[in-house]
Amino acid sequence: MAAEFVTTIKTSEVPVGGLAAIDVRGTRIAVANVGGTYYAFDDACTHEQCSLAEEGDLAGTTITCTCHGSEFDVRTGKVLAPPAVLPVTVYRVRVEGDVLQIEV
Amino acid sequence: MAQAYVIVGASLAGATAAITLREEGAGGAVTLIGAESEPPYERPPLSKAYLRGEVPFDKALVRPPTFYAEHGIDTIFGTRATRIDAAARFVELDDHRRVSFDALLIATGARNRRVAIPGADLEGVYSLRTVQDADRIRAEMTAGRRAVVVGMGFIGSEVAASLRQQGLEVVAIDPSKTPLFRVLGEAVGQRLADLHRAHGVRTIFEDTVAAFEGTRRVAHVVTNGGLRLDCDLVIVGIGVEPAVDLLEASGIHVDNGVVVDQHCRTNIDGIYAAGDVANHYHPIFDRQIRVEHWQNAIKQGAIAARNMLGHAVAYDEIPWFWSDQYDWNLQYAGFHTKWEQLVVRGRLDSDSFLVCYVNDGRIDAAVGLNRAKDVRRVMPLIKARRAVHLEQLQDDSVDLRSLHASP
Repeated sequence: MAAEFVTTIKTSEVPVGGLAAIDVRGTRIAVANVGGTYYAFDDACTHEQCSLAEEGDLAGTTITCTCHGSEFDVRTGKVLAPPAVLPVTVYRVRVEGDVLQIEV
Repeated sequence: MAQAYVIVGASLAGATAAITLREEGAGGAVTLIGAESEPPYERPPLSKAYLRGEVPFDKALVRPPTFYAEHGIDTIFGTRATRIDAAARFVELDDHRRVSFDALLIATGARNRRVAIPGADLEGVYSLRTVQDADRIRAEMTAGRRAVVVGMGFIGSEVAASLRQQGLEVVAIDPSKTPLFRVLGEAVGQRLADLHRAHGVRTIFEDTVAAFEGTRRVAHVVTNGGLRLDCDLVIVGIGVEPAVDLLEASGIHVDNGVVVDQHCRTNIDGIYAAGDVANHYHPIFDRQIRVEHWQNAIKQGAIAARNMLGHAVAYDEIPWFWSDQYDWNLQYAGFHTKWEQLVVRGRLDSDSFLVCYVNDGRIDAAVGLNRAKDVRRVMPLIKARRAVHLEQLQDDSVDLRSLHASP
């Protein structure tokens, strides 16, 4: 099935500097709000699968998985600090009215 | 600029240094020498997921095996460096080869402390440091077998947890009053002891092993307190010591490891040390410290490499490590040897708390049980070296990041 934008939660559910985890068609995705711009990526840290929405600390566009200290760029999913080696998958996000749509 | 960079110790620190040298444009040859035959790997999984058979060895590798050749790093694995001649600038290997250097990094790490307990050479008595050690223990980890863990420091505690998770019966013995007593103190240690017992570990504290007994294979552990424990295997985890044999008569200053300054430099020009072996000057704590953990190895290895290239980068990371046991995430940050006050955030009798070790109103260190965010957020407070509002610190409703902003 081709990827398409799926309506998820309201933008108000992810405050600035905040995170939320959403199940989108069976995939658990984390959403970060960086100064009003939303980024979506796999919620599971690629190191030991901690939930980034629950255990992550967001500072600017960097999310730190506090379980073991891995850092990722929420814009690209790229690893900025180990122990994680593999990037997290990122998803496209768009705002439609007051809801977030994520492409899966 | 040096022409020949040599790294002794294909450890996480050593491998990271080699990788960093290449990333930062080192011009000459880079040679990485290691006693173990495997390519460099990370040790944290050896007492946890790897020991339990949940992840393959590949996942522990610092880089894929082909990486080093592809990046112009010469490797000599399975060969131990036996001597450093600091004046003639070469490293001698156990096959009598000599490798000349212009700049040298000592990253030989640590090795398990041994004790002269009778019967320690019986079959079935193990210690854990290398992947081969882990493989030997793993081969014995059948549900229902009886294991005795000697020493409840971090390795002993993690191994005890992994053994229980695999369904073995576990007895743990430690001379202190609690697990991790020396580092974390009695209050936190008692809580950890409770948690191990709740997971079915039989704990024996304030007792020591007198002998391992058996005909060929260990069958009993006899304690000085008069206990005689039946067992199928034993894992001894009583700490490590820096691996400095090769430095004898080298003129390199050794005192609880290789003594280096904040730039990872030894007393001899062009010779550096990093990782478990390095007793380094820490500018934040204003003293020499030696750290035997993953973060120190990876970050100090990288800093040492940059300094070998002529930079002057101080290593001032706040020591930090994690120790996953059962489904708990235990983390420690900072450095402390004593404390005037123990400030607890959350409840010590719960499954989630942060304990701060406070001197002069400052947080020197903190340990968190299932408090990953708090540990991460307390690190800037430790680094700032200034007094904090202790009432706010223990108030669970206060975000520790806001404490950082207060004067």
